[in-house]
Formats: sequence, structure tokens, C-alpha cells
Amino acid sequence: MKRYLKIFTAGLISDNPLLMLMIGLCSALAVTNNMANGIGMGLAMTFVLLCSEVIISMFRKLIPNSIRIPIFIIVIAAFTTIVDLSMKAWTPALSEAMGVFIPLIVVNCIIMGRVEAFSSKEGVFACVIDSIGMGLGYTWVLLGIAAIRELLGDGKILGFQIMPDSYQPILFFTLPPGGFLVFALFISMNIWLKKLIDNAGARAGKSGKEAVA
Amino acid sequence: MKTLLKDVIRLGLILTAFTVVACVGLAFVNQVTKPIIDGLDARRTEQSLKNLFAGAESFEMVPEFPAGAGAVKFASAYLVSKGGQSIGLAVKAAGPTYGGDTVLLVGVGSDAKVAGVIVLDNKDTPGLGANAKNPNYYVDKASKTTFPGQFRGKPLSDPFEAKKDVIAITASTITSRGIAVIVKQAGDAATAYLAAHGGKQ
Amino acid sequence: MNLVKIFLTALLIDNVVLMRFLALCSYVGMTADVGQSVGMGFAVTFVTVLATAATYPIYHLILVPLHIEFLQILVFIIVIAALVQLVEFYLKKNVPGLYTAMGIYLPLITTNCAILAVTFDNITKGYDFAEAVVYSVGVAVGYLISMVLLAGVRERTRTSPIPKFLQGTPILFAATSLLAVAFMGFAGLIK
Repeated sequence: MKRYLKIFTAGLISDNPLLMLMIGLCSALAVTNNMANGIGMGLAMTFVLLCSEVIISMFRKLIPNSIRIPIFIIVIAAFTTIVDLSMKAWTPALSEAMGVFIPLIVVNCIIMGRVEAFSSKEGVFACVIDSIGMGLGYTWVLLGIAAIRELLGDGKILGFQIMPDSYQPILFFTLPPGGFLVFALFISMNIWLKKLIDNAGARAGKSGKEAVA
Repeated sequence: MKTLLKDVIRLGLILTAFTVVACVGLAFVNQVTKPIIDGLDARRTEQSLKNLFAGAESFEMVPEFPAGAGAVKFASAYLVSKGGQSIGLAVKAAGPTYGGDTVLLVGVGSDAKVAGVIVLDNKDTPGLGANAKNPNYYVDKASKTTFPGQFRGKPLSDPFEAKKDVIAITASTITSRGIAVIVKQAGDAATAYLAAHGGKQ
Repeated sequence: MNLVKIFLTALLIDNVVLMRFLALCSYVGMTADVGQSVGMGFAVTFVTVLATAATYPIYHLILVPLHIEFLQILVFIIVIAALVQLVEFYLKKNVPGLYTAMGIYLPLITTNCAILAVTFDNITKGYDFAEAVVYSVGVAVGYLISMVLLAGVRERTRTSPIPKFLQGTPILFAATSLLAVAFMGFAGLIK
């Protein structure tokens, strides 16, 4: 149980794919000028990650080592296409807002990285946990960035006016430069969070030892 | 050598199997989603045509509409009719504004007036030029007129110049000027077409 | 004239890294020094143009007539992956000089989203073949420019005093933000 908890929480902060591993950045910055896009992208990404990890974990004994990469690509591309077509059919507005970034999930290094490093070795259940943890780790960062950019750049959250009417939206934040700046601050914050957790962990470890002694 | 060949064949078969399964699965998904996606496109065009011409009943694509000269290009045109009588022409036109091409649907009535303008695609600066497609951005707050909305009922004999007879979007003169030019050129082309075809069909 | 416009738009106004947020992984990963960024930039340029030349006819001559456009993502990524492999083999065998210069970057290119994005754009923007090639060159050179710019900035950040909370990766993105502000100025370039 403890093992699964550890797998799950790794993706949230200490091994956060965006802020720590620095992968899968493109989609995270491009679609986060408002919250709705952030949610959509987070869900789409988590879905592809979950399905690809589960399928590859199920068939991992049948996949010869020498051709594993092409097979991974085929599996990931198939699920990406499914998401792309479904969004075009059932959420056309969202699909239009994100444009090319839905098909680009296929080259999102997070998925390739997790499939290669994790699901080609682990069982199905561990993969479900891992993909949800990583997916959430990805999504919370997206939502965080999107919330700041939408609030400051447009005065709204999820399309609802939050700031008073007198607030003059700071356009900078909806534009690409604002995305880069907010992201820089998020990395900085995550480094600080990780340090805090590590310190707390070290202190807990120490006091635990003292208690035993 | 023999084992190598066997290996290649085995790997090839596995790879093929995965590909086939993936393609069959996708074909199935496509079967389900394609009619919906196609339906959405058709409905969207129909909806915007109806927004341009009140009471429009049927639409017919004009097969040989000129492609446009210079920077403004015409993608397609629809002849709009009501009760068997043609009431105008809608032209899908694209031209340069600030951050690339803007695509408009311009409706022109048989009376040589603009019936309406819909911004289909615009990539200008969000919060500035992109207000052209924002339904909550008003160039005239009192009458709730949007930027494309101000063209409704405007005679094509007007000069269509931003900051003169066309109210510009705040701090976005280039966008406003660009869109006015597209409307004017599409409108002129539509009037010419309607005149040449007598408007009776 | 139209080709010039497509080229400049892809190069500056819609700069692939600074305005469209593509290829950020390699943008952060491969700009430790100017030489490396130039190597990666040229490798990407080369593969992007090849990828356009390969996927464009495949889409219009095979996928469209057979009505299997829904396989686009699958086919394009496989073609690009195969292409990168072939280029690697070819260079290793026939042009070892170029291989040592460019070879180490090639495996990273398959998952470079800029290349896949360009091949999709060619289709959605409705370009003809010449326009598609010009567009892909423009995007790729735009990538090269932004890579070299960041590599230059990074060399400076090593010796400059940086606020503590921005040390490490954050300063890269803060600097990128400023580069992006500068590139926004190109938006009114084409009329």
C-alpha cells in the first residue's frame, strides 16, 4: 500500500513532470491562457497516459525489447487520435481552442517517458496509480498557471468575472511572454516546496530515530 | 543467418499485429465520430448564414466565384434565397490584419448593402485586435454594437475607412483597417456577381 | 511575394518557440552552449524539411484518396521516426563528418513537437507543396534563431548575479519571457 502511495505522490511534487523533470512543457504553456483549456488539456493528457500505460503494461511480456519504441509510438498515437476525434465531435469549441496541441500529445515526452521507464516493467495496477499521479501532477500545474494568467490577464476565472469592473486586465499574462514568466515563478515555487518537504522529512526521520534511541 | 531471418519475420509480424489492431480500433472510432464532426461543420455554416440573413431558407454554393485579387482572397460563396427568390450572397473571405490572415463571412444583400459580417477566424493580439471576434466587445456601448456588427446595413458605396466611417477597435487600428478592407472587397465582388447574374435564379 | 510572407510569418511573427511554445524540451535541454544549440538547430532544420517533403505527398496522395485521414497522427509520427532512423544510418555510413556533428542530436528529434506540428500545419493551412516547404524552412530557422538567442543569454547568466529565487531553471524562463516580449514587436511587420 505504502509503495502505491509513494508512486502516486511522486508525480505531484518531487517528480512533477513539468516543474522537476522539465518535460511535456509545450502543451502546458500553450493552452493555459484560460482555465477551461487547462482542464481540457489535463484530462486529455491523463486519458492518453492512463490508456497507454495500461495497454503497454498488459502486453509488456509480448513486446520484444528491440522494437518496443515503435510499438509504444503506435499505441500512444492510437489513443491520441481517439481523444482528438472525440473532442472534435463532442467538445468542438475546446478542440478548436487547443488546435494542434491535441494531436501533439503523441510527442509529449511525459507519456513516452513514463511508458518506457515505468509501464514496460510494472504491473497494471501500479501503472494506473502512476498515470493518475502523473496526470494530476501535470493537471494541477496547468490549472495553477491558467488561473493566474486568466485572473490577471482577463480578470476572470473559468469565464466568470472575478475582478471588479475597474480592474484593467494586464494583457501581458494572456500573451506568450506572460506564460513564460508565470511558469518561471512556478518552477521557483516548486523548488521551494520540495525543499520544505525534504526538510520536514529529514526532521521527521531524525525525531523518529531519537524516539527509538 | 536463418535465425536472423526468423527474428526479422517474427518482429515484423508483431509490429504488424499492433498496427492492424490500432488501425481497426481507430477506424471504428472514426465511424462513430465522423458523421458528428461533418454535421457540426455543415450546421455551423448554416447557422452563420442564417445569422447574416434573417429569414433565409436555402443556401446554394456558388461554383465559380472569383478567387479575389491582391491580398484579400475569397474561399467560397453561397447564394442565399428565401421563398425561391435570391436575397443575397455570402462570401467567405480572408485577408491580412495584424497577426496573420483574418477570415470573415460577409453577407451582401441584393440592395448592395452589407447584410452582416461574422468573424470566423482571427489571430490578432488577445484583448486588442482579437476583440474583433469578441461578442462582448462593443464599439458603441449604448446600442451594444460589436465591431463586425457595425457593418450591418452599411451601403457598399461608403468608403469603408477605419476611424472615419468605420469605428475602430481601441488601440487596434491595423486590425480595424484590415477587416474594413476585406468587407469592402468581398462586398464589391458579391455585388458584381449579383449584378452579372441578374439576381434571379 | 506570398512565399516571402509565409517565410517571415513562420520565422518571426509566429516564432515556433517564443510565440507558439513548441519544442520547449529541447529549447531548455540543448542550449547549454552556443555550439550545441547551433548543431541542434541545423539538425532540426534538416529533418523538418525532409519530414515535410515526405508527409505532404503521403497525405495528399495516399490518405486522402483512400479516405483514411483519421490515421494522420499515427502515420505522420511513424514516418518521422523512420525518417530520423534512416538519416542516422545514412549519415553514419556516408558522411561521418556530419554525423559526428549532428548525430547525437538525431535521436532526440523524433519527439521534437515542432516537426510534427509543422507537418500538421502544412495540411490544416491548406498550403501547396512549395508553400509547405518554405513554411517548414521558416519555422525551423525560427527555431534555430531562438535556440542561439537563449544559448547566448545562458552564457551571460552564468556570470551575472541572479536573484536567489530565480536561480537555476527559473531564470531561463524569465529570460525567455523577455525574448518573447521582443518578438511580439514583429507582429505588425507584415501588412
